[in-house]
Amino acid sequence: MSDSDQQLVDLTRPSPPTVYLAEVWRRRDFAILVPVQDLRAQNMGSALGQLWHLLNPALMVAVYFLIFGVIIDTSRGVDNFLGFLIVGVVWFHLTQRVVQDAAVCIPRNLGLIRSVQFPRILLPAATVNGQTAAFAPALVLALAAVIATGERPSLRWLALIGVLAAQFVFNFGAALLVARIGAAVPDLRQLLPHVFRLLFYASGVIFSVDAFVTSEFWRRAFALNPIYDVITCARWCLLGEPVDSWVVAGMLAWGVVLLVVGFAVFWRSDQRLGA
Amino acid sequence: MDSGRAVTVRVDDAHVYYRVYEDPAAGIKQLFASGQAGRRYQTIRAVRGVSLDLHESETLGLIGANGSGKSTLLAAMTGLLPLASGTILGRSRPSLLGVSAALRSALSGRRNILIGGLALGFTRAEVESRMDGIIDFAGLRAAIDRPLRTYSSGMRARLNFAIATARIPDILLIDEALSVGDEDFRARSAERIDEVRSAAGSVVLVSHNMAEIEGSCDRVAWLDDGVLKALGEPGEVVAAYLASTSPR
Repeated sequence: MSDSDQQLVDLTRPSPPTVYLAEVWRRRDFAILVPVQDLRAQNMGSALGQLWHLLNPALMVAVYFLIFGVIIDTSRGVDNFLGFLIVGVVWFHLTQRVVQDAAVCIPRNLGLIRSVQFPRILLPAATVNGQTAAFAPALVLALAAVIATGERPSLRWLALIGVLAAQFVFNFGAALLVARIGAAVPDLRQLLPHVFRLLFYASGVIFSVDAFVTSEFWRRAFALNPIYDVITCARWCLLGEPVDSWVVAGMLAWGVVLLVVGFAVFWRSDQRLGA
Repeated sequence: MDSGRAVTVRVDDAHVYYRVYEDPAAGIKQLFASGQAGRRYQTIRAVRGVSLDLHESETLGLIGANGSGKSTLLAAMTGLLPLASGTILGRSRPSLLGVSAALRSALSGRRNILIGGLALGFTRAEVESRMDGIIDFAGLRAAIDRPLRTYSSGMRARLNFAIATARIPDILLIDEALSVGDEDFRARSAERIDEVRSAAGSVVLVSHNMAEIEGSCDRVAWLDDGVLKALGEPGEVVAAYLASTSPR
């Protein structure tokens, strides 16, 4: 054994979390710029091109507007049902798109994983960044629609920044966990649309949970659903809908827990992904 | 075995196995007959107990028939594939030459240089400062703003090679890299590979071109069915390998 042998490190072990995170930070441009390029590539073949990033959320809001605002009346217990609905739909879709996309981010990039060495966490990070960036036009549309339904911006709207930050943390944690599971069990991507269909109704996207659920116990049970928490907080900011502390605590707790658990799970399996 | 030079990578009794799921043509009948409902898989023992040291400023050739485990061993050395047993130690993490998997066919050559560079670990500023050099080396100045899908396979290969060699790692693994592009580009890429070799701490070169192996390697390892059959002087190992494969 010569002296230089002492510097050799085991290449089959994951690097410690601090070293791993430092490497992720050094390569952060990848997770920010690559998804932006991918968003560009997405609509390049279509006639309307990049306009679809705006048209898509606009059409989504318009369809809900038509069905629930004009044709069916489910507005029981809500003053500004249209604003209520649009905020619910837009915020729900952000989390849905992030999580569903995260489930395939490892299988879709298998070629890259098998040929280039980099911290794999950059892939779900790129997914979260890309889908969040794609959400920006929908956010602007939702704000415009809420103003169109008669709401006036107030200082309370500023709290939306905090809600979006909490949702970003929660989405990121969920994306890490789902990306890890999706890498091991590709079947997850078939299952997720059904999970989200269930969550859609469990999150009070198109109806007011407060108006339907009277028992205090069940209201707290709803607060266990992080998507319900986020939507309810966003509605408080924009529409002044009631929110209780359980819901805010639920949103923050889910974010922290999912981020820590998601990172731990993902980091531990980093080198086994794609094998 | 001690060449006196520092060891950059030490592969010690490495075993790499992976599962391959079978896709049986079996119908319902066979399913009942075999009594197996789950997916069946086979464990491929691609690398079985390989040990070798890689030294500073050494080029090691890796030869063997198709399916002998060469690429699997390279993947294990980069940490891309987990070991079933054994260890691989290194002074830094080896990198494979190539970024083709990162490239997007809908985007222009210029945007792909950015994406490829980021995948290799450059920052945005680092890619942008190297952009012109990469475009010129690839010889794609006129086509650089066209989508990649309009490129010929040779143009794609040149772009991939130009991006990949923009970053020279300490320990470089090359899996059949020199067979890309036309004559002119091949000459330039051979030059670039030599530059890479002299800059890199160590190089592992996988090739089926025995002239290239003998011409550029200091030692040669011969993998046969996942086992290290010979390791030593290029001339001797290549001769033994050719003798074993030539039809009698």
